[in-house]
Amino acid sequence: MENLISLFVRSIFVDNAIFAFFLGMCSYLAVSKKIKTASGLGLAVIFVMVLTTPLNYLILKYLLAPGALAWISPSLADVDLTFLAFILFISTIAGAVQLVEMVVEKFAPALYSALGIFLPLITVNCSILGASLFMQEREYNFSETLVFSIGTGIGFFLAIVLLASIRERLRYSKIPPALQGLGIAMIVTGLMAIAFLSFSGIKL
Amino acid sequence: MKIARKLIDSVKPHFSKGGKYEKFHYAFDAFETFLFVPETTTQKGVHIRDAMDMKRTMFTVVIALIPCLLFGMWNVGHQHFLAFGMEADNIQKFIFGAIKVLPIVVVSYSVGLGVEFIFSILKGHPVSEGYLVTGLLIPLTLPVTIPLWMVGLGAIFCTLLGKEIFGGTGYNFMNPALLARAFLFFAFPAFMSGDIWTDLTSEQGQSVVDGFSGATNLSTFDTNFHQMISSSDMFWGFEQGSIGETSAFACLLGAVFLIISGVGSFRIMASVFAGGFLMGLLMNVLAPSDLPNHSMHMPAINHLLIGGFAFGAIFMATDPVTAAHTGKGKIIYGLLIGAFTVILRVFNPAYPEGMMLSILLFNVFSPLIDHMVVEQHIKSRLKNA
Repeated sequence: MENLISLFVRSIFVDNAIFAFFLGMCSYLAVSKKIKTASGLGLAVIFVMVLTTPLNYLILKYLLAPGALAWISPSLADVDLTFLAFILFISTIAGAVQLVEMVVEKFAPALYSALGIFLPLITVNCSILGASLFMQEREYNFSETLVFSIGTGIGFFLAIVLLASIRERLRYSKIPPALQGLGIAMIVTGLMAIAFLSFSGIKL
Repeated sequence: MKIARKLIDSVKPHFSKGGKYEKFHYAFDAFETFLFVPETTTQKGVHIRDAMDMKRTMFTVVIALIPCLLFGMWNVGHQHFLAFGMEADNIQKFIFGAIKVLPIVVVSYSVGLGVEFIFSILKGHPVSEGYLVTGLLIPLTLPVTIPLWMVGLGAIFCTLLGKEIFGGTGYNFMNPALLARAFLFFAFPAFMSGDIWTDLTSEQGQSVVDGFSGATNLSTFDTNFHQMISSSDMFWGFEQGSIGETSAFACLLGAVFLIISGVGSFRIMASVFAGGFLMGLLMNVLAPSDLPNHSMHMPAINHLLIGGFAFGAIFMATDPVTAAHTGKGKIIYGLLIGAFTVILRVFNPAYPEGMMLSILLFNVFSPLIDHMVVEQHIKSRLKNA
């Protein structure tokens, strides 16, 4: 239990998808102009992540890992399909995003139009694929995978909402024309990452 | 003074609109207002919250910092002579410290203001007085042994990336002075932590005493906090540390001045101290009883006296630009800073001093805190309407 709590806190703050690994930067930079849309996208990312990472865990465990197919017939015990991990992971994510897209379009049409192209683009959001790949690389068990995916999702949500709130405040700043928009967002992200460095090295 | 006035008046037409050196108008203006009271006051800007102009605000803070600066100078000498086991009177200690500290202050001011002047000429905005405070805060947060070129580098980093690219004073979202310190801390860790707090330049005919340890209280704190000096020494500041941070007493003098003049926010200061104290108490309750030397057992009050807690709470957290702007937000912001500082000190052995990173982190959070306070306020008003 303690291990899970520690993993949860670590995946939100210490190993934050944005500030520690710089994963999922495209939607993070593009949809962070307003707090409202940013939190909408953040929630969508949390949802997709919590749905897909455990699903990918099951796929990995029962289909892809070396010897995983032994449950079908003992003759398949030495089959190793891990080379298919990438393509299967990404198709699970694509399927989940389709689901989210339909739900958002039906129940929050305003958010749907505000997110625009970036909602389907969650499919290629590196932080979501990253969570699945980290899960594979670090050999988490199922409960760890679940906690890790929730934590990483919340970490992304926190990062994008923080950037959006800072950008809302910076709207009144006299930023040099060459840096307006993406340029300043990149610099702000770098400075925020300095502040988030305070978490690195925390022992839990 | 009369000669200077005449000189300035004689060259002034060249720098006014349409003059020969029109481009340098703002640089010239900054020099003039530095020497004399200007005829004009600040016209507009996000930093204006009442009739007080920025120059006066900034000078108030500089005056509030003077006790820390003077005590810091004395303490540099005090620690130096203590390390060598030499007798020295207070004047000697002070003079030794002043010789070591003043170059750092001068470099910080001249480099930082240099960058500001270049920007004011390039971009045609007035040189703002904001750097008067930042330029003094930077040296006070650094160890006395730091190489001068690093001070300059930090000043360039903070003026450029911390302030000017956002449009200058009042538009930044992170405290520039702390940004300079954080930059140096992560870029040159060997010069910013460890056994570097006492100036060990050898005196004639003296060698370093054997067995002298240069670690600060915060470094010993992780292994065994019982070995630390007494609370009263911490309060008065007879300890090792950055130049300005050691004395909680000097910081409190500054705090009284800031609160009376209305420049520093009482809410933030009080809530930072409250947050740190409450978190310290919580740590004491949760501390494992079988490890009497564990850092969680440290008395809560010592957290407030040790290291840069008081300095950060009074001079850094209260920065009106980067702190939360709403009344409720200020209290939340302060409590979080205080609590998180204690958490960092206890749980993060990599950074013995949590104050700097804690303030920077909640600088990042403060726009969100404000947003939530405002939203909540709107909601409650709508409910009652």
